Amino acid sequence: MSASERAFNALGDPTRRAIFEKLRDRPLAVVNIADGLPVSRPAVSQHLKVLKEAKLISIKTHGTRNVYEVNREGILAMREYLDKFWDEALVNFKKLVENTEKENSKPQ
Amino acid sequence: METISLTSIKKEFTVAATQETAFKVFTEQMDMWWPRTHHIGSADMTEIVVEPFVNGRWYSKHADGSEANIGYVSTYQPYDLFVLAWQINGEFKCDPNLITEVVTQFIPEGPNMTRVKFEHKDLHKLGSGKAVESMNEGWGTIMELYKKQAEQ
Repeated sequence: MSASERAFNALGDPTRRAIFEKLRDRPLAVVNIADGLPVSRPAVSQHLKVLKEAKLISIKTHGTRNVYEVNREGILAMREYLDKFWDEALVNFKKLVENTEKENSKPQ
Repeated sequence: METISLTSIKKEFTVAATQETAFKVFTEQMDMWWPRTHHIGSADMTEIVVEPFVNGRWYSKHADGSEANIGYVSTYQPYDLFVLAWQINGEFKCDPNLITEVVTQFIPEGPNMTRVKFEHKDLHKLGSGKAVESMNEGWGTIMELYKKQAEQ
């Protein structure tokens, strides 16, 4: 699986999306991330692990506690995946349109 | 010309064809230009289908007989404008709660020349956002990514 696929998969879960949304605003400790979420702290930790493995978030240590923050590289990888996909699709499209037009304009 | 934005992908180019041909090939012949390797089905993709009307389905058909939804047609204005709702979520499944728009405009520029303006919008819903928008080393990071992918 490529980095972008891992990122897409990680965000497929609604709880993980909610966690990720929270971290988009600012870096947070686990206790703050769990706040207001309908899941247990251990579950939040498990979700954080998946997000981290997908390189969507990273951890920084502040004194004795861990703070989670958005990892910009992982997000860019997702965007890159779609960007490349559309490039490929639209190049195909352009070739096909121009060939079709040539066929259309041939004398009958 | 391409514009780098972190919440949308924009592509703009001209095709040597009439507006009508460009629109028809895009909407009616997607199966012939869609990269075969990109689908979310359970078996090889055999066909991609867009029903050419508002709320028409957008889906792929597969070798095992299954179908996989991609989204639906949200605007259908021949031969100027075509908008698709892309609903593929993070698990490569169609999620009816997720809407990102794929907007394609066809602008006539001559008897046999059409400008195509393409935009896949709302990518922040897939995970980009404030952290990305505030980034100022955009291109540098993108080049890093290319390098990493090439080396994988």
